[in-house]
Amino acid sequence: MVAPPIDALALSRRALRVVIALNLLAGAFILALLLASFAAPDWVMRALGITPVPGDSVRAIGARLIMGLGLVAVPVVHYVLTRLRTIVESVRIGDPFVVANSARLTEIAWGVLGLELLHVAIGAVGTSLASAGVPLRIGLELSVTRWLAVLLLFVLARVFEQGALMRADLEGTV
Amino acid sequence: MAILVKLDDLLHERRMTLTELSEQVGITLANLSVLKTGKARAVRFSTLEAICAALDCQPGDLLAYVPETNTRRRSA
Repeated sequence: MVAPPIDALALSRRALRVVIALNLLAGAFILALLLASFAAPDWVMRALGITPVPGDSVRAIGARLIMGLGLVAVPVVHYVLTRLRTIVESVRIGDPFVVANSARLTEIAWGVLGLELLHVAIGAVGTSLASAGVPLRIGLELSVTRWLAVLLLFVLARVFEQGALMRADLEGTV
Repeated sequence: MAILVKLDDLLHERRMTLTELSEQVGITLANLSVLKTGKARAVRFSTLEAICAALDCQPGDLLAYVPETNTRRRSA
């Protein structure tokens, strides 16, 4: 018996819906943690594995900075994912090769670039905190693959734009 | 568009319908209709060849260049 083919498109749509919800949930969690870091700083620091030292505000400020940067990442991720969802939706409708989708791909590329820069900033703060004797596992790890992905997205957006223009040219050809 | 498609006239001269032409040349009725009404943006050589073969005519019999001002005056 032949197994039915997996509908990758439907699967992607469902996965995107879940990831969008998870991102918003993560945002709510980080916001709650950030607010709690002001209301009960010692408790939050201990929960993060950082031993609070009386009179040392650098660690708390560093941790809050990481949370703040994490919060900034949430709308950026949402921006990227919702645009990706629109592209997937256009594939479902059967009309993905349009200039609007190349613009969306460019927006995704800018979004991913922004996320990479945020990643670098969070890594820098994490590294400086970890050097102060805090067991944080947020390091400044630069990944060639992720930067290549950003480059690839920009190139793909341009290729898509050219393809969409060529397709528009063919429309009306008898 | 300054290019005029005279498919209607040729069909009339040959007492042929668009449906019959569509069956002969293997081009959809919708596409031939786009061509006939002057809404086409481009014509493939293969399409031109098939229509000329079916209607026994030259590409020049099918297409004409009419400057925009004349076209406007005509349609007015």
